[in-house]
This record gives sequence, structure tokens and C-alpha cells, in this order.
Amino acid sequence: MSGPIVGFAGLTHLGLVSAVGTASKGFRVVGYDGDSARVHDIKAGKLPVVEPDLDEMAREFADNLSFTDRLSDLAQCDIVYISTDVPTDDKGQSDLTSINASIGNVIAALGPEAILIILCQVPPGFTRKLPLPTERLYYQVETLVFGRAVERATKPERFIIGCADPSYPLPPAYKTLLEAFGCPLLPMLYESAELAKIAINCCLVASVTVANTLAELSERIGADWSEIAPALRLDRRIGQYSYLAPGLGIAGGNLERDLATVLRLSEQCGSEASVIAAYLTNSKHRRDWALRMVHREVFGRKPDASLGILGLAYKENTHSVKNSPSLALIENLHSWPITVYDPVVPASAATHPKVTAAASALDAARGADALIVMTPWPQFRDLRAADIAAAMEGNVVIDPFGVLDGPGLRAAGMAHFVLGKPERAGA
Amino acid sequence: MLEHLNKTASVPQRVVVIGSGGFVGSAIAARLASQGVSVEGLTRKEVDLLADDAATRLAGRLKDGDSVVFVSAIAPARNAAALMQNLRMAEAVVKGLTAKAPDHVIYISSDSVYADDASPVKESSSCQPATMHGMMHAARELVLKNEIKAPLALLRPSLLYGARDPHNGYGPNRFRRQAAKGEPITLFGNGEEQRDHVFIDDVAELVALTLRHRSRGILNIATGVSMSFRTIAEKVVALSGKSSDIDPSARHNAVTHRHFDVTSCLKAFPRFRYTPLDEGLKRAASEESGARP
Repeated sequence: MSGPIVGFAGLTHLGLVSAVGTASKGFRVVGYDGDSARVHDIKAGKLPVVEPDLDEMAREFADNLSFTDRLSDLAQCDIVYISTDVPTDDKGQSDLTSINASIGNVIAALGPEAILIILCQVPPGFTRKLPLPTERLYYQVETLVFGRAVERATKPERFIIGCADPSYPLPPAYKTLLEAFGCPLLPMLYESAELAKIAINCCLVASVTVANTLAELSERIGADWSEIAPALRLDRRIGQYSYLAPGLGIAGGNLERDLATVLRLSEQCGSEASVIAAYLTNSKHRRDWALRMVHREVFGRKPDASLGILGLAYKENTHSVKNSPSLALIENLHSWPITVYDPVVPASAATHPKVTAAASALDAARGADALIVMTPWPQFRDLRAADIAAAMEGNVVIDPFGVLDGPGLRAAGMAHFVLGKPERAGA
Repeated sequence: MLEHLNKTASVPQRVVVIGSGGFVGSAIAARLASQGVSVEGLTRKEVDLLADDAATRLAGRLKDGDSVVFVSAIAPARNAAALMQNLRMAEAVVKGLTAKAPDHVIYISSDSVYADDASPVKESSSCQPATMHGMMHAARELVLKNEIKAPLALLRPSLLYGARDPHNGYGPNRFRRQAAKGEPITLFGNGEEQRDHVFIDDVAELVALTLRHRSRGILNIATGVSMSFRTIAEKVVALSGKSSDIDPSARHNAVTHRHFDVTSCLKAFPRFRYTPLDEGLKRAASEESGARP
């Protein structure tokens, strides 16, 4: 296929997944990163991020992919995406220092006709200020999801494109690239597109906060949220893909960043945004669900209990521990010995004075007074209830996401606690 | 949330309890003394915080390296006069602690600083007092935060009960005394309101822990379990072994509940356990009957 050559500047999660996804559509892709060691690893097939299907797809479309640590290699590209993940601090604020430097370097290396597209997470107002003629400057919303990033990169629902003037046609090379994905194109003002990205995340947070709020109420009044959520999904106004699974608060960094941005902008311009603060309050509250549960069900009865903890990553199918509920829990368990297991994240990610690394999930349960499943890795579903019961010393299983076999555990005499399930069911 | 300045708990050099003659202050002083802590208890006899020389007298009682627990209050502060007296007492304490700076200060405040509709209450809940008493504590907290240089911990207890409580207000203390005499217990409405009641010994222990960790910040003192006044009345009557009637009365106010989210206490003092209400009621009853001739 003859088409534009597409560059990606920045090969962290966003850039690498997007580069592989674009190569899979038949385009020649140049992936650039200033970190030579990272580029070396990627070239050797050791991808620095964990995503289902990513390794296989990178191998399959290797002929379309080249990786480099030389900025000048981007000069051959018709289109260059700025695809560095923008780091956030503890309050969800973006640190734009490195992205600003990176954009400056890339602009200097661009071919004279090349188009620059900002793909990374930037606040509204960012793109319009960049020093490049507006007919060569675009912003594109990324909606990757950790753990489902390849699927999202190759089968997007739509492209949201920020432009200086959306009534002008897109440059042919850019249009060719986007149309290869076969989804609707939505050009809009830079500021609209930048805010659209945030709006999507606010809607997701709103749904999950409803789920978290009513899951807690379900636990207290004897309702079962897992029975309620499917009924909501069949309501067209809510939708089958809505975020209705209760969780341990918002994590991962990107949603928190967008909430922090809305709060900051609303404060600056005087718009009313108290609901955003309420989302954050609810998130903090639900993050500590497992801590409250282990105090109530375990430490009150056995002050010197030992714990097995499954999962350290902030969610399944990712190596990321950014704002991980598991690490937040472990931070508050320093008085008790813990044994941890995660399929990807090493036990050393847990800062704890008495932590033991288990060789397997079942190994983490061995001798434990309570087993706590903090990340819903699919492989934990394979654990047999009878094996868990036989391995453990105590009988408390705190399984917020309900990945284990609840009926089996209860039949084996275990108390099984799940988000949104009636608390008495665990007794 | 509390921040511990002592990463490893250590016994404070000496603790001065301002208001050691009262229900809360005496429990704190007794608990510290039982743990081998050197305690200097100050009552109105030693330092009258409303006297002109209060600050000087207080400073004169302090030594280098002291920790101070400020409990004294004219409570409940129901009117402007009581509010102003309480603020003058706080002013005297601040002046005294400025003249002779302590190493650590704890102020025993109240959950009445929070808005009535704050539920579940947590340390980050907005302070929006609905009563003169709550405003008094909120104002004192602000005075201390602004003017005390030493690390400051603000402890905000919910409703307290124990054998030595002198107020005999609506709740476990009055119910217990009525039940002990076989008198009827009259509820407001049907006693539907749920509240979080804390046994006095738990306040004393949390103060001791806060001193040992030299903590600063805010901590609510609440068990995390709220119960209706009717449930408490029933428990108290059952414990008394007598047959007091529990009578409803006409309701004049809407039913409100107050629950606490106690997660920050689990984080600050993971090994601490609140006394369950059943056990606290038993101990209060037994201490009170033991105290009576």
C-alpha cells in the first residue's frame, strides 16, 4: 500500500500501541524514542509494555515497522504523532515539561510539508499555542484503555480531530491515514477536541461512581449490584458497554488527570464543578474498601493475622501500578506479614517491612488467615475453591471483583466478600 | 488525617493535661499515668483559665519538652456568654503556650464542628457548625492552628459515655442511670436517630497514642458503628437486669442520623481497636455500680 509514512515520537504505552496499530493498517511507521535502551529492547522484540495481542501484532507487521533513537529519521515522515505519555503527580496534575521539550525537538526535525499531530494527554488550550502553521497542526483524541489498548487502537469507534478551523478539509495524507480505520471522522476546534477527551473520561467516571455508590448501598441493605447492572445495560439510555462494574475507586492516572483538569479550569473560569470533587471523594472512599473489610473481618478477631494478597497492578492485563489500590492497601498493612503474587508486577513493587514473594497464586494463599484479591487477573479465576480452602489457615476471602468461585468457597466453609454483594452473604 | 512525626512510638517526656478534673481530662490523665507517663494535671484550682493571670500561671507550670493536652471547656456552650468565655480560655492557653512553648499540643474538640448533614463524617468533611457549641470548638481550633507553633493534633470525639460522665445527657449515660433505678426511659420520638457512641477509655487511649507518635493533623474519635437510641436503651435495660419501660414521646424534630467513616483511624493507628458498645456499656455499668457506696 502506498500511503503516508507515519512517525510516532515517544514509545511508551501510547506511542508503541498506536505505532503497531497503524502498521497493522498497512502504513509504513517510524517509531522514535530518545531512550536508546528502550529502542534497543523494542527492536529485539522485548516490548516494554504488556497488552494482549501486542507482541503478536508487532511481529506480524514487523515489515512496516522501524524503530529509531535518531530524531532525524522522522524527517522522512508525512505525518508525525507526538505520542509520549504525559506523567502526572499525586494530585493528577500533568507535568508538561518533557512534552514541551519533545515537541520543540520534533518540530525542528519535521520535513517542510509534514503534519504534526498531538496525540498525548494535554489540557485544553495547549495545541493552539504551538509554534507551527495551523494547516500543519492537529490534535487527535486517544482513547486507549490499559489492558484493551490494541483493540482500541485498531478498531476505534471514531476519530476526534482538533483543528484550527474544522470547516477546512483535512490534509489528504492525514485523511488517507484516518480513513483506513473505517470509522467516523469528527473534526472540531482544537479546544473542543481537547475537552472531548476529558468529557469522555468524565462520563466514564460518572458511570463508575454511580456503580460504586450503589454497590456500597447494596452491600448494606442486602441487594446484589451484580443483579442490577445487567438490567441497566439493557436500558438504551445507559447502554451495554457502560462502566457499571464497581471497583476500588478510580486508578491508572488518566481519569484522575482529567478530573483535576476540569477542577482547575472551572476554578479559573468560575464554572460550577462540585460533582467532579464528589467523584474524587467517592473514589478515595471506595479505594479503602478492602482495608476496612480486613480490619472488620480479620484483625478484630485475630490481631496477629497473616495475609495473602493476589495482584499488585492497578488492573488486570497491565504492568502499570499507578495509583494501584493494591499498593495503597499494602501501605496500610505494615503491622502484619503479607505474601504477595502478581503475574507481571514483581513483589518488590510493594514497599512493606514483612513482604514475601509467592511463586504462584495458590502459594500466596498458603497459611494465610485471609486472602485478598486486589487485581482481577483472569488467571486467578482458575484457582479452585477447594484448593484455596485447603491452603489457607483462616476462612476469610476478600475478593472485591468477585473473580473467585464464590459458591465453591462458601461450600468449602469460607466467608467470601465481594463489592456490591450483600455483606451477610460473606458471613 | 494524622501525620506521625515520631516514626517509632515513644513515651512523651511529660504531659500537662489542662482540664484534668473533668470527665474526659481525668480519663486521659489516669490512662497516661497507668502507662507510666509523667502527668501534670491542671484543674481550675491550679490555673483558672478565666482569671487575669491565667497565661502566666499556665506558662509557669510548663517545662521544656512538655506535651500539652487541652481539654478544658465550659460545655455545652449554649449561649453567647459561654461562647465568649470558652474563647477567652483558649486565648489564655495560647498566650501561655506562646510564653513557654511545648513540644506537642493536642486539643480535644468535638464532632459538632461538622455540618449536621455530613454523613458519613470523615476528617475531610466541611466544618460548618450548626450549634454554638460546635462554633466554639471550630473557633478554638482556628485560634490554636493560627497561633501555636508546636505540632498540633485536633481530636474530634463523637458522643462519649462512661461511668463518670457528669452531664447525664440523652443517651447511654442517662439511660444507664435510669435503668439502674428501674425508672422508665423516655425516647425522643421512638429513638430512631442513629449515633456513634464512644467509650471514654478509647478517647484516653487514642490521646496516649497520639502523644507517643507526636502526631499532627485531625482525627475523629468514633467507632464507625452507629446505633439508634432505641437499640441503646434496649441494650442498657437488658444489662441492668431490671425492667424499665422504654417509652416513645412526641417527635418535635426530623430524624437525622450520623455515621462516621473511620478509615483514617485504621491508617493512623492500625493496631488500635475501639471498645464494642456492648462491652463498653457493661464496663460503664460495672464501674458506676462499683463507685456507688
